[in-house]
Amino acid sequence: MSGRAFGTQTPAAPPREKEHVLPTEAPITPSPFAEKVRGPVGRSCDKIDGVERVTGTKLYGADLIAREADLHAKVVRSEHAHAEVVSIDTKEALRVDGVLAVLTAEDVKGTNRHGLIRRDHPVLAKDRVRYRGDAVAIVVAKTEQAAAAGRDAVKVEYRVLPTVESIEQAMAPGAPHLQPGGNVMGGRRIRKGDADSALADSHVVVSETFRTQTVDHAFLDVEAGVARWDGELLTIRVSGQWVHEEARLVALALGLPVERVRIIQPAAGGAFGGREDISIQIYVGLAALRFAGKTVALRYDRAESMRARHKRHPMRIEYAMGADREGRLTAAKVAIYSDEGAYASTGIAVCRKMSSHATGPYRVPHVRVDVFGVHTNNNPTGAMRGFGATQIAIAYEGMMDRLAAKLGVDRVEFRRANLIRPGDAVTTGQVVPSPTAVECLEAVLRQYGSKSMPSEPLPTHLRRGWGVSVICFGMGYGDGFPDASRARVRIGADGCVEVYSGIVDVGQGAENVIAQVAAEEMGVGLEHTRVITADTHMTPESGSCSATRSTFFAGNAVRLAAGELKEKLLDAAGELLCVHPNELEFRGEEIRGRFDEGLCCSLGELVAAARKRGYELEAEALFKPRTICEDFETGQSPRAFITYMFGAHVSQVLVDVETGEVRVERHVACHDVGRAINPEAVRGQITGGVVQGIGMALMEEVVYRGGRILNPGFTDYILPTVRDVPPVECVVLESNDPLGPYGAKGVGEPPLIGAVPAVLSAIYDATGKAPATLPCNPERVWGMLTGS
Amino acid sequence: MGDSGGAWHLSCTVNGEPVEAEVDPRITLLTFLREHLLLTGTKGACLEGECGSCTVIVDGRPINSCLMLAGQAQGCSIQTIEGIGDDKKLHALQKHFIATGAAQCGYCTPGLIMAAKAMLDANPSPTEQEFTTAIEANICRCTGYESIRQAIRDAYREIHG
Ligand code: FES
Ligand code: FES
Repeated sequence: MSGRAFGTQTPAAPPREKEHVLPTEAPITPSPFAEKVRGPVGRSCDKIDGVERVTGTKLYGADLIAREADLHAKVVRSEHAHAEVVSIDTKEALRVDGVLAVLTAEDVKGTNRHGLIRRDHPVLAKDRVRYRGDAVAIVVAKTEQAAAAGRDAVKVEYRVLPTVESIEQAMAPGAPHLQPGGNVMGGRRIRKGDADSALADSHVVVSETFRTQTVDHAFLDVEAGVARWDGELLTIRVSGQWVHEEARLVALALGLPVERVRIIQPAAGGAFGGREDISIQIYVGLAALRFAGKTVALRYDRAESMRARHKRHPMRIEYAMGADREGRLTAAKVAIYSDEGAYASTGIAVCRKMSSHATGPYRVPHVRVDVFGVHTNNNPTGAMRGFGATQIAIAYEGMMDRLAAKLGVDRVEFRRANLIRPGDAVTTGQVVPSPTAVECLEAVLRQYGSKSMPSEPLPTHLRRGWGVSVICFGMGYGDGFPDASRARVRIGADGCVEVYSGIVDVGQGAENVIAQVAAEEMGVGLEHTRVITADTHMTPESGSCSATRSTFFAGNAVRLAAGELKEKLLDAAGELLCVHPNELEFRGEEIRGRFDEGLCCSLGELVAAARKRGYELEAEALFKPRTICEDFETGQSPRAFITYMFGAHVSQVLVDVETGEVRVERHVACHDVGRAINPEAVRGQITGGVVQGIGMALMEEVVYRGGRILNPGFTDYILPTVRDVPPVECVVLESNDPLGPYGAKGVGEPPLIGAVPAVLSAIYDATGKAPATLPCNPERVWGMLTGS
Repeated sequence: MGDSGGAWHLSCTVNGEPVEAEVDPRITLLTFLREHLLLTGTKGACLEGECGSCTVIVDGRPINSCLMLAGQAQGCSIQTIEGIGDDKKLHALQKHFIATGAAQCGYCTPGLIMAAKAMLDANPSPTEQEFTTAIEANICRCTGYESIRQAIRDAYREIHG
């Protein structure tokens, strides 16, 4: 690829392109793009800020604190899972040396509420606390130690109320109401055909109740950042997943016009949905408003991070599924109870993701689903990688294994026979564009089979088995929710292509993707692009970094804006050369006449001309495809999601039947990503997602007692290490999404979703017992095997 | 180390430079490096010795700086991520971490590189097991580890030809 710069100045050091091959990398299955890779799209390239990340110079939230903090804030949190706040006595705290202020609900000038869908979560609780992480006051002090001492000196008097610990308690008659509308906050349903009669008429029916656990995002970079109020503008630098929405939430809660709140994303050390709800932004903003001209810092430690933040929904999923004599699925009847914790967060959208994915990538004519979100006094639950599609995949894939066993048919054959094919519909009735579930399954089996299961005899306490999963994932928000990305592309003063996008890079490489798209579209080298992201006052709104939407949405917006800019450049050249722009075309670094070779101007000349006349060479574009609301009664929609992704996994495990330990020996994951814009980053998402999935399947669990988290730290919240996982084998399947940028769909969430059921399926294969409760840690597996 | 009114006098070398400082004896080496010396490349994530994000090399050994008091570093030679390479000249490990995609969010990266460097410095011919052992005390939530192992193997090959 030959780079081409607009203008004359030398740009910053170029990122390197490379053809790097990981040893575990399976060849990309025949790609429709094999012949097409010319520009940056489709090539692995180094992270654009890779040097900063490996030299330790990239600044994360906590690094800003070390450099800039004038004052420090700490949060006073509820000591009870459920209580009335009787009084807050700040006198003693104010006497602590160095403490400057203690702020309570009285000091919050706006709505004092936040929440991504329902604004039901008080910033500072005034009269009632609903979980142990609820904040009641903010202490501001000259040092962090003083702030902590002040926090411990605030005296809050509570009248303790009964704690609702579980879904069952919340739904029991007489349970205390945690929210005005009662404990069932709402739900979603699917009514398709007649599931009850179809089950009654089925040749076989299998029922199971699955229980999934509470999971913590456990990103390494705990919530930390700074805020400053200069009398006009409140600037908050804290990592989130959607800067523009965070600005709106801060403005509402604190009573400021949104224009006066600027959110700038520092480097983020992972997110996985855990930065989707607002975290410290409002607290640190509130503290900064009180001390104009001072930079106020706030950071959590790991325990506070785990106690305060939302979690992945634990769920009880009651599933019945039937098949006919020929092994065709007939019906599914599903009831899902989801522990929403104390506040709504994104719960209602998670409920909807569950219902819309209830039968996964399978053809099921009759479906009845009811999802209930239920409030408890546990942490609020909300977004985490997979967003409900994770939990439901555990259930539908668990059912496929159980049904195959009951029918006495091969579980792979059974899947193959029931997977959706072109023209088939998923749970919502949507006929999915380019369903590649079968292709994914075949590709993953090919990769697994090429080495096949070792046949050497095992010691008597070990059992080996392999499992399979096939999953689908609807990309973007869907359900008629406005889903849009904007981007601006301009030619900078130094001739570089500058890309402005509100999208947030949380570490996954979104910035690389949009740089690659811009460079490809403009026909320049990556070294001549510069990406500016995630600053409410610099970048156009691009929606959230979630729902596996960044590549598709931000990528498309950038592509459209770059296309606009090219037209503008032709226009400007037409004016300069006194011809109609249609007479001109891009050629190398120049614009030349299509028919008249003599007509020519360089892009450098255009930049110079534009500068002289004072107009900008820039263009902005909006990408806003529409989905259609699911019918409230039936959950049906012809276009519930913009597009679907598919994936299939095979996991091979060794189970120690004496100790209950499970070791994943091999894990193969195949994902249809549309187009892999940056293949290495795609593989990175797959391997990372699989390892999080293995964590969820085997070890991760937030344990509550009476609303208190018993394991708020990495000593007791167990995460997978390099010793716990094999090298993940990735198979990247490329299809061509007609709407995606260069055919790309995305990849973030599906790898985790596919991994969990494949591991469970492997445990079933190894032991003959099908797990229904997560995680499958040694105690639980041993209990399952011994019936105790 | 002398006691002077609550603060202790600490002398050590950090990245080859002698450092003299008055420190509160209760702070950890991690806090000292980050907040007193502004060497914020070293990260804290769990602060209880479970994740390795804070790994630095103290007298040739990889240490969780969140578990070591600053005072314990008296007379020690400390190396941090800032001391092994920069944008002009990357250490082989840094180079290969970029090349294999071993740094996604990058928060675990400095700790992993220092853990790997301690191993490579001490072990001229590591086995495949030892490549793994070098990073078994480090958590990475993003990558799934294999790209990290590969980066260390590649760096080893580059260093030892
Ligand atoms: S921060 Fe030191 S080991 Fe985690
Ligand atoms: S790259 Fe994010 S924790 Fe390792």
